[in-house]
Order: sequence, then structure tokens, then C-alpha cells
Amino acid sequence: MRTFMLTTAACLLAGGLAVSAHHSFSAEFDANQPVRLQGTVTKVEWINPHTWIHIDVKDDDGKVVAWMIEGGTPNTLLRNGITKNSLPAGTEIVVDGYRAKDGRNRANGRDLTYPDGTKLFLGSSLEGAQGGER
Amino acid sequence: MNSRPAVPAGLLALVVAALLAAPSTALGQARPADSSTAAAEKTSPAPRTAWGDPDLQGTYTIKTITPLQRPAQFADKAFLTPEEVAEFEKAAASAIGADSREGAGTDADVSRAYNEFWWDRGTQVAGLRTSLIVDPPNGRLPPLTPEAIERNRFETTRWAFRSAGAAQGRGTDSWLDRSLFERCITRAMPGSMLPTAYNNTYRIVQTPGYVAIQIEMFPHVRLIPVAERRELGDNVRLWLGDSRGHWEGDTLVVETDHFTDKASYQGSAENMRIVERFTRVNDEAIDYQLTVEDPTTFTAPWTAAVPMTRTDEDLYEYACHEGNYGLEGILSAARSAERE
Repeated sequence: MRTFMLTTAACLLAGGLAVSAHHSFSAEFDANQPVRLQGTVTKVEWINPHTWIHIDVKDDDGKVVAWMIEGGTPNTLLRNGITKNSLPAGTEIVVDGYRAKDGRNRANGRDLTYPDGTKLFLGSSLEGAQGGER
Repeated sequence: MNSRPAVPAGLLALVVAALLAAPSTALGQARPADSSTAAAEKTSPAPRTAWGDPDLQGTYTIKTITPLQRPAQFADKAFLTPEEVAEFEKAAASAIGADSREGAGTDADVSRAYNEFWWDRGTQVAGLRTSLIVDPPNGRLPPLTPEAIERNRFETTRWAFRSAGAAQGRGTDSWLDRSLFERCITRAMPGSMLPTAYNNTYRIVQTPGYVAIQIEMFPHVRLIPVAERRELGDNVRLWLGDSRGHWEGDTLVVETDHFTDKASYQGSAENMRIVERFTRVNDEAIDYQLTVEDPTTFTAPWTAAVPMTRTDEDLYEYACHEGNYGLEGILSAARSAERE
């Protein structure tokens, strides 16, 4: 019974994802252009339907390149105690995502973590990187 | 820091009531009490507003892991036992969901969009049910009419979409080819009253003569008159239809039609008629049921029960139009592909 429930639950959640995805992400981002970026937050647009996190990434030549990373709705974060102070400029983050199909320096934040591997907003080795005020 | 209640008191009360009240029958499966049956226990007389109408006011969430339609695995099993509910909720909580990277490098992984922490699908089963649909008894939408099946071949019908561009095979020529959801317009009806991936919050406000339902997903307020019954001219068509309410005892009954043909649900649009019933169960919950009928689309009317549970959380503005860079990105991607 436990396996049955686990399978059903997983199927429901997985099935629900594509249906509920706000935009057609595969129309916007390229599965053939995965990117892994490590950069410093410069600003965060806490907007709907998607939060956009701006980061500066140093390329191999040391040149700084600005990227925009698409996230989800800030409404859900607010419900979990995250505020607009929770991701201050200067925070180092790692973005595992897919580049925009039009070639711009945009990517969806498929997986967002801190450099130590913990998920963004859920825990960090960086002191004070995560706000907690409601 | 996190004020989300672990288990809403109303849900806990329902589970306890079910455990105490469930009769076992010779047929085997016990049928527990549920907020969506008339047998729901009321803890006290329904509160009244200052002017004497039943008081439905408050802020509620409808998020749930119970799907609209019963999964095939559950077949005719309408209810889970409390033990099965607990097991199902535990399994759902441990399922990886959007954090899965299975199929990395494919559109399937791109479509998961972003981490699980951005989503707010809920963690709990609605009552003890395996589906929100309570009628037909198999918990699934009734079959579509042949006419609707033919109509749907040329239109996307998930939630509320109707796109001339999609009908002609174009999907990215213009924002007009994108869904109403992507364009931040509406989920229309009944979509706007069904649980979704986030923004499952509703606020009910009453004044003498009106009940207002504020919907978090998109800046919708359904303004429902209860004081008089007047009907719009047949040519007046609205995104959320035209609603007229009246009280039957402690139940608000809302009848809605005059839907626009620019939005559809499973192919049902201008001929859709919805009857909703809102009944306060106790301080923490409203029993909400909606019945959809459209003989040109559905071979039978269907009814869903969507428990509304009081929340201490606020209802947040969803100013979707203001930040919709993604829509521009979709069109830009198509223009870029054309140049190659």
C-alpha cells in the first residue's frame, strides 16, 4: 500500500506540474543550452508572475556579464517567511538552468542554490543571507 | 517565522468525526463523514452579519493535493480511510516534485520550470476524498459530446484558452496566440474557483445585498448580488460570467451564466451554466460545491466539492501584467528561430 501511495502521489505531483506551469517554459528556454552560472546578486525584481534575479557572472576572462534568472511567484515565498530583504545584493548564488532561446543572457532558475549546495531561501552557510521577518 | 498551520482545525475535526462516525457495512468499505455531505456536524448556529445574512466572511485557502479527477488507480474508491490519507500525505510530502532533475537536458526538465519552494500546491487531501469531483460517482468529468470533441480539435482547452492563432497552427506570432493564462488575463470559470499550483487564497466580503469573492490568482473580484434578481441581455458576455445569488437557509446559492466565448473549459464556453453552494461548516471551514452544466459540451452535469479552509495568511496581490517578461521572451524566441 505504501508503494502504491508513493507512486500515486509522485504521479499526481509530477502530472500537476506541467499543467500548472504558468508559461510554456520550453517555448522560452532551450533544453539544448543548459547553463551553470555562479554569480553575485545585483538586484531582485519581486514581481509576478515570476521573480527575476539579476546576477553578475565573471566569465573565464574575468569580464563581468549580467544575467537575468527567472524564478516563480514571490507570493509563495512570502507565505514561507521570505521577504524582499531575504536575497540582498552581494549574495553569491549558483544557477543551474537553461538559456533563453533568443540567446539573451537570461535563464530559468531550474535549480537555485548557495555555493555550499543548500537550496536558495531554505538555508545557507552565509550568515544573514536569509531574512526571516514577516 | 512560518505561521502556516500544520493541520487546519477544520480538517482535523473532519478526520476525528470520520473516525468516530464511520459505520462499517456489510459491503465492506466504510463511508466516512465528509464536509461535502449534508451530514457535516455544525458546532454552533451559523453566525450572522450585522444585517442578518449568514456570515461567510473570511480569508480561505483551497489548496489541496486531491486532484479534480480521481486517478485511475483509485477507480471507484471515493474515500480514503484516515490512515490512507495520512500515508498519502506523507508520500506526497516526501515526493521530489519540481526538484527532480530526471530528464535533464530535455523539454520535460525545462517544463518543471523551477524549484519546489516556488510552488504552493498544498500538502493535504481534501476531506477524505480521492477526487474533488463528487458527481459523476466515478469522480471523473463526464464524457464530452461528439460536438465538443470536434470543437476541441482546433482549440486548446486546458483551463481557459481560446486562440485563433493556435487554430491556424500559429502559436507565437503574437501575444494573441498565447493562452489567457499566459497573458495574465484570467483562468475564467470554473478554473478560477479550483485549486492550482499557487495563489489558492480567497477572501469573502459581504455587504447588504452583495457577496464579494476576491480571488488571489489574477485580480478578480466576483461581485454577486443577493438582493435582487435581474438578468443581463443575452449579448452581454463576461470573463467570469454573470452571477446572481440568493440564500437558501444558511447556504449561499450562486447561479452564473452569460460566459464569453473567448474562454473555455474543456470546450465549454458561452453555453456553460454554473450553480455554486457555499455553506459555513464551522469557524474554520466553508463547504463549497460547484455544479457545471452545458449539454452542448458535457453529456451530464458534474459537481466538484472544494473545501475552503480559513487561513491566517493574507491574500497577496498578483499584478501579473506588470512583470510578464516571460511572454515577451516566448515571442522573442520565436522571432529568433525565424531569423536562423
